[in-house]
Amino acid sequence: MKHRVEKLACVAMALGLSACATVENLTPTASRSPASGSYETLPADRLIGKWGMASYREEKDRARTERIARQCRQPYVIAKGPTDGVMMHVADDSQQYELALKRARDGKTYLGFATPPGDPQDREIVSMTDKEMIMRFVDPDANTRYGTFIYVRC
Amino acid sequence: MTTQDTTSTRSSMRPWLAAAMVATVALLAPSLAQAQAASAAAQRETMNVGDEPGRISTEETIIRDGPYARQLVFFRSNDPPGTLVIHTSERFLYYVLGNNRALRYGIGVGREGFQWSGLVKVSRKAEWPDWTPPPEMITRQPYLPRFMAGGPGNPMGARAMYLGSTVYRIHGTNQPETIGQSISSGCFRLANGDVIDLFSRTNVGAKVVIRHSAQL
Repeated sequence: MKHRVEKLACVAMALGLSACATVENLTPTASRSPASGSYETLPADRLIGKWGMASYREEKDRARTERIARQCRQPYVIAKGPTDGVMMHVADDSQQYELALKRARDGKTYLGFATPPGDPQDREIVSMTDKEMIMRFVDPDANTRYGTFIYVRC
Repeated sequence: MTTQDTTSTRSSMRPWLAAAMVATVALLAPSLAQAQAASAAAQRETMNVGDEPGRISTEETIIRDGPYARQLVFFRSNDPPGTLVIHTSERFLYYVLGNNRALRYGIGVGREGFQWSGLVKVSRKAEWPDWTPPPEMITRQPYLPRFMAGGPGNPMGARAMYLGSTVYRIHGTNQPETIGQSISSGCFRLANGDVIDLFSRTNVGAKVVIRHSAQL
């Protein structure tokens, strides 16, 4: 059974995306994923596929960054992992790892290793639909360097 | 040795420094061919401008010491003031001031096979330009975004001046330690503070002379 896990109303504010977190239609699963632990994991199947991937830092650049991501140049391919996770990269590492979607107690959703949600190597899922995902690295340094990532399904 | 300073203090001008060497090079420099890339491989829509996108170099970073520090020098030239003259082999860019003077900036240049010479004009200027990693960089670093909007972590740095209709640019960098080296795909990079200074002086349409090497 699927239900809406979280849908927070977004309020336009100077901080932009930081205040807007929407992750739709994700159902917690049993902890059989690579991120099993004392927290909920979410099905990551909807991440699988080819995505246009681009990043920006300032809200004024978001719309055009999204348009460019929609062009799907050199798409980023997310494959299913050996367990319930997906094969993706972390910051500054060319090796792929199986990562999982994790739900924190505060309702935020993260993508990362089998560590408590919000680990410095995690990405925070700012928003996620079937067609578009917005993520940013939890690590402040990586977040500053790479900015906010937009994934648009090809 | 080259060092960087992250203060906003501009480097002091040292008039007439290295006059003899610069004058010699200027007098004996070769005539210029039309702009042409040295390598077909360098002709691409995007540029390989470094291997460490995401690194931060503030816009205040300038080269403060050593030969690559921005400085006023003797520079004999018939080019009008405002002309940019790039000596690839020396890793210097000269902003012609007239009266046999120029501002000299330390630069990073194209690696072997990616150096070129020519005569072009500044066709466009951009602040905090966007960056599109080339396919081979994506292959090596597949975690990179395929497009990075301009900002401090962007390898294109704080400013860019586009050279004619080529794929090459004079731009800033998030790796100021590479000034004086030859590692780019044909672009010319300056420390962010220096490229901001050059950007403020340079007009669209300015003549740009790229000399691959001085012939003595």
